[in-house]
Amino acid sequence: METDYGRVVVHIDPDIEDLIPGFLENRQKDITTVTEALRTEDYETIQRMGHTMKGAGGGYGFDEITDIGSRMEAAAQDKDNDAILRQVRALSDYLEHVVIVYDE
Amino acid sequence: MAILVIDDSADDQLLLRSFLQREGYDDVLLAGSSSVAFDYLGMTDQESKAAAIDLILMDIVMPDINGIELCRLLMKDKRFSNIPVIMVTAHANDRNLQAAFEAGAVDFIHKPINRIELIARVRSSLNLKYETDKRVQREKELIESTHKLNRANQKLRYLSYVDELTTIANRRYFDEFLAKEWNRASRQQKPLSLIMIDIDFFKNYNDTYGHTQGDECLSQVARTLSGMLKRPGDFVARYGGEEFVAVLPDTGLHGAEKVAESLRANVQALDIEHESSPIEKVVTISLGVSSAGPAPHSEPDLIVTQSDKALYRAKQEGRNRVVVHRHE
Repeated sequence: METDYGRVVVHIDPDIEDLIPGFLENRQKDITTVTEALRTEDYETIQRMGHTMKGAGGGYGFDEITDIGSRMEAAAQDKDNDAILRQVRALSDYLEHVVIVYDE
Repeated sequence: MAILVIDDSADDQLLLRSFLQREGYDDVLLAGSSSVAFDYLGMTDQESKAAAIDLILMDIVMPDINGIELCRLLMKDKRFSNIPVIMVTAHANDRNLQAAFEAGAVDFIHKPINRIELIARVRSSLNLKYETDKRVQREKELIESTHKLNRANQKLRYLSYVDELTTIANRRYFDEFLAKEWNRASRQQKPLSLIMIDIDFFKNYNDTYGHTQGDECLSQVARTLSGMLKRPGDFVARYGGEEFVAVLPDTGLHGAEKVAESLRANVQALDIEHESSPIEKVVTISLGVSSAGPAPHSEPDLIVTQSDKALYRAKQEGRNRVVVHRHE
C-alpha cells in the first residue's frame, strides 16, 4: 500500500473514472448494511456482502477492498463478531483516507 | 453481437460493461437475476424475440438461482446451447470449477477481474462462436443447394421421359422401361405383352383439319389410351409420330388381346370426326399384339418386332382392328 503522509494512494484506470463515485457510495452503504446485520447477527448477509466486496474491489483497482471483503466473508463464516467489526472499521478508515490517482 | 452479463452485484455488472464497451463490444446487456436473464434470452415467452446473444458472462452465486444450475438449463435448450458461457466468480474453488465445466461452461474468470484476462477470454469465445455460426450457416446452405440440385435433377429426368405434346411417356422412357420389365418378367417367370398402336389415316386427318387439330387429336387419343391402362406396371408411350406402344407386364396373350380390343373400341367411341377416313367417319386405331415368356438373358427386340408385324397385318386387313401375333 502506497502511503503519502498517512493517506492511501490508489492508481485507478482512467477509463472507469465515471464508475468510481457510484462504487465508493455503494461501499459506504455496505458499512451501514453490515453494521445493521451485525446487530441482528445476520451472518448470511454479512458473508454475502464480504463476498461481493471481495469480487468487486480489486476489479476497480481497490485491492485493499478485496482483502477486507475476503476477511469479512471468513469472519462471517466463523460468526466472529469482533473480526467483522474490525473489517467494518478498516473499510471505513480506508474510504476516508484513500486518494485516487487516475493513471494506468 | 450482444453480450449478456448475469450478476447480482451492480458494481460487477458496471465494471464488466465498462471493460467490454471499451474493447468495442457495445452491446452489453445487464441482468441482476435469472428472471431478467430469461427475459433477454426470450425464454419466458415463446413468441418474444430473443436478443441475439453471442456470449454470456455469469456469476455462480446469485440470490434466486445458482449459476451452475442456470448454465445447465441453458445448455439443455436447443435455442441457447450454442451460446458460450463464461463463469465470472469469486468462488473459485475446484468443486465449483468442475461443476461449472460439467454444466457446460466453456471458460472461467476469477474475481476480482483482471481486465486483460477478461478481454482475452471474451475475444476467444466470441471468435469461436463466430466461426461456428459461419460453419452452421454454410452447412444449411449446402443442404439447401443439394435439395435444389436434386429437385432440378428430378425435373430433368421427368422432362427427358415425357412426350411434350401428349404428356405421356416418350420413346426413351419406353426403351428403358421395357428392358427393365423384360428382365423382371424373366426373373419372375411371368409373361409380358406388347401392343403396338397406330392411328388410321392420320396423314389424311392432318391434311383435312390442319396440324393444330392433328396435335389435339393425338393428345386426346393418348389420354384415352393412358386412361385405360391403370394397372400398376402398365404404361403407354408415344412411339413415333402417330404411333403408340403399350406394355403390359404379367399379362399373357389372351389378356392382352382383350385389353387391345377395348382400347380400339374406346378410341372409336371418342367420335372424333374424320371425314377423310375411307373406313369410318371417326378416328380409329389399328393394333398389333404380341406376347412372350421371356427367357433368361434374352432381349425384348423380338417382341417389339412381332407386335409391329401384327400391326402391319391389322392395317393390311382393313384397319380399325386388333391382330394378334401367334407363334407358328
